[in-house]
Amino acid sequence: QKAVAPAPIVPGKEDKTVEFFRHLYKTRTTSIAGASKEIHPAILALGLQMSNYTICGSCARLVATLQAFKRVIESYTTPPGNSLTRHLTSHVLSPQIDFLTSCRPISISMGNAIRWLKLEISKVDVDTPESEAKENLCNAIDVFLRERVTFADQIIAQSTADKIKDGDVIMTYAKSSIVQRSLVQAHNAGKKFKVIVVDSRPLHEGKHLATALVGLGMDVKYCLLNGLSHNIQDVTKVLLGAHAMMSNGRLFSRVGTALVAMEANEADKPVIVLCETIKFTERVALDSFVHNEIAPADELVIPGGALTNWENMKKLQLCNPMFDVTPAEYIQMIITESGNVPPTSVPVLHRLGNESQG
Amino acid sequence: MPSVQTGYAPNLKVFKQSLKTAPLESSIEYLISLLKRRQIKNSRPCAIATAELLRQVVAKSRWTDVGKLIARIQDVGQRLIEAQPREMAVGNIVRRVLGMVRDEANEDRTEDGSDTASSIGSPKRQHSHTELTSTQGPPPSSLRFSSTTEGSDLSEVNGDDVFGGRSTPSGRPPLMASHTSYAVVNGVPVQQSMFNLLSATPSPNATPSGPSGTNSPHGNHPLHATTLAERMIITSKDLRAEVINGIEEILDELEQVDDQIAAYAQEHIHSNEIILTHSSSVSVYKFLLKAAEKRKFTVIVAESYPNDHEETHLAAMGKMKDPESEEDGEGVYLKSLQAAGITVILMTDASVFAIMSRVNKVILATHAVIANGGLIAAAGARLIAKAAKVHRTPVIVVSGVYKLSPEYPFEFESLIEYGDPGNIVGYHDGTLVDNLEVDNPVYDYVPPDLVDLYITNLGAHAPSYLYRIVADHYKTEDINFHKPELQF
Repeated sequence: QKAVAPAPIVPGKEDKTVEFFRHLYKTRTTSIAGASKEIHPAILALGLQMSNYTICGSCARLVATLQAFKRVIESYTTPPGNSLTRHLTSHVLSPQIDFLTSCRPISISMGNAIRWLKLEISKVDVDTPESEAKENLCNAIDVFLRERVTFADQIIAQSTADKIKDGDVIMTYAKSSIVQRSLVQAHNAGKKFKVIVVDSRPLHEGKHLATALVGLGMDVKYCLLNGLSHNIQDVTKVLLGAHAMMSNGRLFSRVGTALVAMEANEADKPVIVLCETIKFTERVALDSFVHNEIAPADELVIPGGALTNWENMKKLQLCNPMFDVTPAEYIQMIITESGNVPPTSVPVLHRLGNESQG
Repeated sequence: MPSVQTGYAPNLKVFKQSLKTAPLESSIEYLISLLKRRQIKNSRPCAIATAELLRQVVAKSRWTDVGKLIARIQDVGQRLIEAQPREMAVGNIVRRVLGMVRDEANEDRTEDGSDTASSIGSPKRQHSHTELTSTQGPPPSSLRFSSTTEGSDLSEVNGDDVFGGRSTPSGRPPLMASHTSYAVVNGVPVQQSMFNLLSATPSPNATPSGPSGTNSPHGNHPLHATTLAERMIITSKDLRAEVINGIEEILDELEQVDDQIAAYAQEHIHSNEIILTHSSSVSVYKFLLKAAEKRKFTVIVAESYPNDHEETHLAAMGKMKDPESEEDGEGVYLKSLQAAGITVILMTDASVFAIMSRVNKVILATHAVIANGGLIAAAGARLIAKAAKVHRTPVIVVSGVYKLSPEYPFEFESLIEYGDPGNIVGYHDGTLVDNLEVDNPVYDYVPPDLVDLYITNLGAHAPSYLYRIVADHYKTEDINFHKPELQF
């Protein structure tokens, strides 16, 4: 066996961050140790679930966050001498949000929802009795979730399922809840089609999707990115989920999505993005460096594999970005609950969505 | 764990050792089974094993004339190729040896022919002789720069009808003018084989004048049979030695090829670059190491999951096996890139598009290069090359000439090999194994328009120029030697 080379222990740990992502590195909170006592237990649990990917995917995280905030609001009592409007956001919600951020950077949809929630709180009349205000807020959250997520998903899934025809070969990348839902809905409607799930390391999210679809008796093929080029020719449609849609029409999604869209575009296959408008943002992105999330490098290490103790190898860096940005020209259509639009219409829809809220 | 295996599992080294003692036929069978069981795999070990085996074939087989030798090599070559058709290096080496045998034989014959011809005063032969020597004047290696007419000349002369379709008139001097010399040349191989038969009973004085007289169609210039017979014996011996020499040259080339390629490294890498490479390849590794002697730069490695990631990770940890070292076990690793001052960033294949806009150059290794300038490389290479194209990042392919194959398949899918689906979905995934269709290609075909530059041991070339290097290295009649139905 390889005698473990006596790696010289570097005094003062070597910087293992990759230069062009350096601004994005954040250490993740992975335990409740050291968490401030004002963090609500529901938030503590949620934070840990997010940091170990038990709750993963921007929609799931959005729903879970708002549900947890509901619990926070329910257990909130305004301290004497304060009003709910002024106190809740800054003294109660902010630490919760900070804790969630420290577990995993909050997603764009979560950001949108939190901004909306803060606005709702600020609109609460100072004269409203506390119990009534709290009830109103919880109701508002329920309505928000129903409108922006539940119904939106239903509409998108229906509209996507309608577009799937008998004999289609649908390719999708990693796992998106809305893509899964659409495929299942089409399958339940009796459509005969095949699904190719493309996946990648280290999360292997696509395997969960493939497992779920196979469980329903669907015809599923599973491959990793190395098989993408070999399968793209058989495909008739590519369905992608989104983490966010940027205002310049670019898709911000799980790393590797851009490769799938690029290959599909090269092979002249339509690329369709399924995305609720809550994931739209006014931010723009040209590359995957400015805004991204860097997951812990240790996730790339295969247990027992060659990379064990990689930290001891000088000048070796492991880089594990979570997202990439797909150019707008690869995307033919975005299916949202407000209709099917081209990528150029993202800022318009985003504005309409915000106006309806305001 | 691998160190335990190496002692027992047959590999290139075991094969090389067995070559020394085992009889020829069993060596051939051994290599065939090694190739089939993938115990020798990847271009370089396959090429070396093939060359070593062919050296034994030339040295040990009984052959009395060039035609028989060529037929023998073709036969062995065909069996090797059929054993593992996707290891194209095997076929390449066989073709190069064939081409070399033809060259050597031709060289000998032209010398003989011209000697006799000039002694009887044929101006045409003299002319073609000088022409030949002048073209072969500074041969960098005896395999290159020979015109195809010589080959056709030879095959026809040998009565080897396999290439019968090749028309002689192209490039040949007008038949009438060279009539006399042609007759002499035509007579030689017949005599050669006969003389070799007779040489066992050393009485060259009495018999040969008869056949030489009758064989010459005109019979008006009797040959000096004695001297010719002696020369034939000598040339046959020489030919064997020369072919073996040539094969050793090929083996030398295989040994040095990575270093020769690396010599060009500093022309292509400037300081402070970010270079993306894929999988782990000794050629690329040495190329980067050489460049690192003078400049500092960053290398991003895409790990090539799920087939080559283990090797890639080992290489990133500074444990790249040195192919030169014959020993197994410890201390056989190349210097690590990090020790040479390079920062290595390891990433998943999925991140390629995300970071491509910061990459200055993509350097790809290859499994085989085909004549149109496209290449077969580890799966995922196509995505990387395409992503580079989209970002206008230059793609450089580093490859030895021995990987350059004259084959041009009509369907590229036929070149792709599929690996173990268990690497993707294993039995620990339970029922998924039964119900899920899984795809695990090992190789990708990268079309030539995605490649900007090839760097071989001969220098840097555009993909569109590769066909020319193919023409320099292989003879047209050898290209499809293993597929009789395609010979024309």
